[in-house]
Amino acid sequence: MHKNLYDIVIDWIPEGSTVLDLGTGDGEFLERLIKIRNVKGEGVEINPNLVTKCIERGLVVHQGDVLDGLDQYGNGVFDYILLLGTMQELLDPQKVVNEAFRVGKRVIVSYSNFAHLKARLQMMFCGKAPVTSSLPSPWYKTPNLHFCSILDFQDFCKDIGAKIVKSAYINKAGQVKFLPNLFAEYAVSMLEKSSETPSRKTEISYDPAI
Amino acid sequence: MDEKEKSMLEGDLQDSVISKYHSDLGVTHTQKVKLPGFTTQSGYELKELEISYQTLGTLNPAKDNVVLVCHALSGDAHVAGINPKTGRPGWWDFHVGPGKSIDTNKFYVICSNVLGGCSGTTGPSSINPDTGKPYATEFPPVTIRDMVRAQVMLLDYLGIKKIFAVIGGSMGGMQALVWAVDYPDRVHTCIPIATCMAHSAMQIAFNEIGRQAIMTDPNWHGGYYYDKNCRPEHGLAVARMIGHVTYLSEYAMHKKFGRKIQRPPQPEDLFPEFFSVESYLQHQGESFVKRFDPNSYLYITKALDRFDLLENRHPRDVFKNVKARFLVVSFESDWLYPPSQSKELVKHLKRCNIPTTYINLDTPYGHDSFLIKNPEFSKALSNFLNAEYRNISQNPNNNNHR
Repeated sequence: MHKNLYDIVIDWIPEGSTVLDLGTGDGEFLERLIKIRNVKGEGVEINPNLVTKCIERGLVVHQGDVLDGLDQYGNGVFDYILLLGTMQELLDPQKVVNEAFRVGKRVIVSYSNFAHLKARLQMMFCGKAPVTSSLPSPWYKTPNLHFCSILDFQDFCKDIGAKIVKSAYINKAGQVKFLPNLFAEYAVSMLEKSSETPSRKTEISYDPAI
Repeated sequence: MDEKEKSMLEGDLQDSVISKYHSDLGVTHTQKVKLPGFTTQSGYELKELEISYQTLGTLNPAKDNVVLVCHALSGDAHVAGINPKTGRPGWWDFHVGPGKSIDTNKFYVICSNVLGGCSGTTGPSSINPDTGKPYATEFPPVTIRDMVRAQVMLLDYLGIKKIFAVIGGSMGGMQALVWAVDYPDRVHTCIPIATCMAHSAMQIAFNEIGRQAIMTDPNWHGGYYYDKNCRPEHGLAVARMIGHVTYLSEYAMHKKFGRKIQRPPQPEDLFPEFFSVESYLQHQGESFVKRFDPNSYLYITKALDRFDLLENRHPRDVFKNVKARFLVVSFESDWLYPPSQSKELVKHLKRCNIPTTYINLDTPYGHDSFLIKNPEFSKALSNFLNAEYRNISQNPNNNNHR
């Protein structure tokens, strides 16, 4: 994924926030975020070899899938929940985003834009599922279970009652301001629970019988 | 044969046949100390408490490099290095030593035999000063908390206030948990491995079968066998055989023994096939009875079964004072202390805002995964200890990052 994207996320997160990084990998980004922004951060990662690398960096990390990771925490304990490059690999993104809003106040999501010009051209002229720099694997090897465009993602947010607070669109040349759904390879958005929908914070007391 | 299979065949260092073993520590020794007076949780007063312990490495001037290792059911104080009496390496020599996960060049390692044990610390086979005879079953029931309180007395005697890390697998993990909960100001990091907050019915059941094997052995004599010619060795051997099966995995046993036949049929054999696994278990049983006291087996397994970290209290109340940072380790193939039990602990810790790292390693050796050569486990352990130690060295005034 594009380096700029991570820098944008760092810019968005205020000094001293609490952050949960879902799908934290080897923890390189989380470690950077903690150093630069002095955040209190924890990670969730399913691969034990990567968890061991996170431990080496001195990070607090939980081995498990994204939903299991979120389940470890009480309501509203984080300022930001990060889903960077992970969302399209989730079986049920809606469930995960809803659960993320239980545990955190804001959710930052990044994803590959399936409607990027190159992808469209490949579909149009080759008649094949696109393989591009931002979608590098053929259909049978990609970890992505879901493909969406920037417009699709906006619909998704509307549908699940999430408000997009801010977004950035990126391709190889840098940030894309003009027709992002056509020219951006990646997008990153900060989401907030829309105030129109009732708060889902139903779990008030912590049931010890978990 | 790959490394994993080799480690599996090699097994742990407690009762397996070891032909050649090199320990970087060479010959190491245990020490004994007699401490006055100890009252058990049940209110029984022991006039004196003897503790057998081993220290490895050097205590630094800041006294901030102490790693307390807590042993499991059948372990002892001799954690690493060659035992001069038996010629065998310590039970955790794979993981404790110079340059190993628990690096004795860096850390001051302390390990003591548990209260109720039979390897130097006061237990049912010790002499009762009132009668001049072994306590036998007059020995009071002990708890995991009693074991920890005995360790506290030892550390006080050694002049050590704060432990950098308390670490243990299985029953050792329970002790580590008690340390973090009952002595929050003395523990910086806590590493419970393949353990639980309380035994399930299945875990109690396996222990009860072991206890029944001992207590129904005609040589048990209600526990008063010390002055007799025979100890309930057969019962203890059977108990160990059952226990040992629960420490392995189906995969490990299949890889190790398959359906191999140990030897050609002998005229005295009732059945023609003598399987390798049968021979192995018999060896495990026989070698265990030489080094373990049957009454200690009863007392310690009962302490395991009675252990309940929460004791019907709300987890928030139990963990509210805990200051330690946690690394919880479980093993996917461990069916005796399954990962679900570790996960339950992790969830309580995390929901109580205690910094907790959890790793579930996919190693195939069953519950014994922490006792045998296991590079994935070694790496996770050494990474955690080094990162945490780096942290306190850099922020000596901010020991608990909460």
